[in-house]
Amino acid sequence: MSTTETATEPTTLELGSYQGAPIPRKEDRRLVEGQGTFVDDVRRHEMGYVHFVRSPYAHATITSIDVAPALALKGVYGTLTGDEVAIQTDPFFQIASPPGAHVKDYALAVGKVRFAGEPVVAVVAKTRELARDAADLVEVDYEPLPVNVDGRAALDDDAPVLHEDAGTNLSWEGVYEWGDLDQAFAEADHVVAIEELHFDRFNSTPLECDGALVEYDPGTTQWTLHTNNQFPGFAAIMMGPAMGVGLDKLRFVTRDIGGGFGNKITTHPQLVALCLLARKLKRPVQWTEWRTEFHQSMSHGNERYFQDVEVAVKADGTLLGFRCKALDDAGAFLRYEPLGGVIWAQVAPGLYRWKHVKVEFTQVMTNKAPASPNRGYSRMQHLWLTERIIDIVASELGLDPVAVRKLNYIKTEEMPYTTPNGCVYDSGDYARCLDIALELVGADSVEERRTEAAARGKLLGLGIGSTLDSGTNNFAQSQLLNPELQFSGNNEVATVKLDIFGEVVVTLGTTPQGQGHETTASQVVADTIGCAPDAITVRVGHDSYWNSHAGFSGTYASQFAVTGLSAVKGAAEELAGQMRQLAAVVLGTTPEGIVLADGMATRDDNPEAALPFMALGAIINANNAGLPPETEDITLNARYVYRPPFDVPDLEKKYGNLTLTYATQIHACVIEIDRETGDVEIVDYAAVDDCGKRIHPQIVEGQVHGATAHAIGAALWESFTYDESGQLLTANFYDYHVPHALDMPQIKSGSIESPSPFTRLGTKGMGEGGGGGIHCICAAIQNALAEAGGAIVTDSHNPAQRVWRMLQDPAATRSGVSVREA
Amino acid sequence: MQASGNRHFDAPPQAVWDVLNDPEELAGLMPGVDKFEIQDDKNWFATVKVPLGLGGLKLKFHFEKIEERPIERAALRVQGKGVGAVVTMETGFDLAPADGGTSMDWTADVQVLGQIGSMGQRVLQPIVNQQVGDVLEALDERVQARSA
Repeated sequence: MSTTETATEPTTLELGSYQGAPIPRKEDRRLVEGQGTFVDDVRRHEMGYVHFVRSPYAHATITSIDVAPALALKGVYGTLTGDEVAIQTDPFFQIASPPGAHVKDYALAVGKVRFAGEPVVAVVAKTRELARDAADLVEVDYEPLPVNVDGRAALDDDAPVLHEDAGTNLSWEGVYEWGDLDQAFAEADHVVAIEELHFDRFNSTPLECDGALVEYDPGTTQWTLHTNNQFPGFAAIMMGPAMGVGLDKLRFVTRDIGGGFGNKITTHPQLVALCLLARKLKRPVQWTEWRTEFHQSMSHGNERYFQDVEVAVKADGTLLGFRCKALDDAGAFLRYEPLGGVIWAQVAPGLYRWKHVKVEFTQVMTNKAPASPNRGYSRMQHLWLTERIIDIVASELGLDPVAVRKLNYIKTEEMPYTTPNGCVYDSGDYARCLDIALELVGADSVEERRTEAAARGKLLGLGIGSTLDSGTNNFAQSQLLNPELQFSGNNEVATVKLDIFGEVVVTLGTTPQGQGHETTASQVVADTIGCAPDAITVRVGHDSYWNSHAGFSGTYASQFAVTGLSAVKGAAEELAGQMRQLAAVVLGTTPEGIVLADGMATRDDNPEAALPFMALGAIINANNAGLPPETEDITLNARYVYRPPFDVPDLEKKYGNLTLTYATQIHACVIEIDRETGDVEIVDYAAVDDCGKRIHPQIVEGQVHGATAHAIGAALWESFTYDESGQLLTANFYDYHVPHALDMPQIKSGSIESPSPFTRLGTKGMGEGGGGGIHCICAAIQNALAEAGGAIVTDSHNPAQRVWRMLQDPAATRSGVSVREA
Repeated sequence: MQASGNRHFDAPPQAVWDVLNDPEELAGLMPGVDKFEIQDDKNWFATVKVPLGLGGLKLKFHFEKIEERPIERAALRVQGKGVGAVVTMETGFDLAPADGGTSMDWTADVQVLGQIGSMGQRVLQPIVNQQVGDVLEALDERVQARSA
């Protein structure tokens, strides 16, 4: 079930016939036929397979390592230890300012281990199985150290310090304050206080784990990395300085990637280990991560506590401002952190007109796997906070959560809207999205359904999750964390060329993982130069030899529809201009007198005077003698770098535009709770998306569905749970349950289109808005429990046992919530 | 993982004590022992194959007696290392005469680290329970044999 409406008509768009049409995806034939090439499909003669010996301890000193028993095994090619890594490389560059800046992070553990599953030794052998067996023979002795897995205890005097060089478990802290909090609380009629909210640790679990095949060429001293890393620009920036080589020594090649969700950004430690091994052993080395390894060691989403939350509210439900402390648990290393400490500020007021916001942000390190970007990175946590606030305020003040949202949503007519921290929300119609979502789940009849469910012993609840998908980062926001950083803006590259036989070839800098970049890029090029998408070849994946990449190239953070497609559009327009110019010379007219359509360049005043694209390609590439001087600049090979219009924010005030576009997703659901078991069943679910102009509606809808599944999993089943010794108790799909097809409700999709006024195509980045699913399920559970003691939902993750406990002791959940009259 | 329980033996405390404090006897109680070495009266080593359903996990254990109060109480610290697993356990038992025999209260605090540990308690708890059950059954048999 789906519905689409258009919110406002674009004023500057000239869309052709392919953009906006659900054409068959170009990728699907090869993928459906099993002809895709994923990283584990890449093979090289005489390659060795890598297996990592991992620490069983969450915190321990390494007292000795003996690789001799492994090396003695026939078929073992070699090993790499932390000591070798420390000799051959420098620690990775740290994004943080001190004290986090002092963390020393290497490709393998050096001297001590800081989380269970941390790679300690790499073993290379003739077969994957042999490498695994040989890894078991490596003798590592450890002296266990005290462990801390509780972020709230990380700064206690007696907490074990993970990184002695930093001298503390604090990685970064900063105070964000915008508006006038004193004024907000003075004007308030009520102050709603919430002692603590907890956003749980999970990740979005791509089907394909991490992996790479790395080759080293001793002649050129260059490495080629066939990998599924989704942000080669970042990996290169991390790896180059650590390895002491220029970026051109690191050739990144990606092909098909089986999902990323941010989890495949921070594989640079493993990639460095592979580079060192390939050079040491003089052979290609291949590594494919096992699922348990992925769970134990890669890219957990940020766990966050929100403490001492206070909300200033007027009697009618108008929200004036809020203040809180945010405590973020980064795990053992800062592989992309502490960027989570600022990324949330892209959506500081959520979807609401709060003018006064204060967040005291603290990030700490614990003996858990490192946190790294995960679908909805850092914004999801903060938007969960704002949504929890809305529902708790509504509950405590006896207000309708729908009415509170509509009263406080930023209005369409206020767009572009500048938030208290200087971000600019480009367009949207939140209230209309909410109306569609409520209609899709049949909110009008919820009271009758509640009665009917009660007769069956079930508690029924309705919940709403409003969320924003901020896309196209301004990397200058990193300077809010560390003013010394020399990163700002953003960029992406595409090339479009018309070749000798008339073929149109597009190369991208991005690393698609299922987002259909080949399809959408071909739609934009087809409309721009006047041919069918089938006539266009979009090269698969990314290759830094193509010279079609820039510093921020990759696929992450909801930006392809803006950065990638704007680069494609720019290159296609440049190519089209050259084609017109060449055709004009040949056909004896002006470039303005040439029409490009149906694969032909035609004089607009004489349809008989026409050149097929093939002729244009052949003239420039193979038959160019005698061309006049005005054709000198025509290459029919256009490279375009798109740079979004950003400034560096005011670092002192932490004020400025952090992202270019803001897509909206409003989710609504109806759930039933079994009073006996606490089991939650989703009986109705709707997701309404507004990502501006949709180039390919089905691709958008697919991403909405996928993100929703991730959110439902996080809300009900997926949790990285550690015991007190730092052992991950949910390191496999037996204990870490991702939703299967049978777990998923039927999702009713809706959409509107509020084109972005800031982008060439009216598009907005999207794909990460699924956090709305967590918000709406939390809201629905709280709504359902209202009739059974009125428990307050304070955790993002609510499996049956937690819901059951809330049913048994609702007062315990309410004890941290209070209302005082101002 | 913590486990505890009580077991009654139809034998005097001395007989139970003798079995539990004789390393050779103790080795015979544990299922899957491949090799057993006695270093001294407080330190023993054993190689044990622990059944895990999908195959055995070979672990080399070091038993260290950390408390001894004949014939009432003893405690052991056990550390085992194997492929992808580190096992630590502190276990103790208290003996007291009861109903003409012996009552034994026992406790065990088991930690399993590494990839095996990550299998989670749902998998490991039944294995630990089964192992404990097997040990107690074997202990009962040995005590009966000694006191017969």
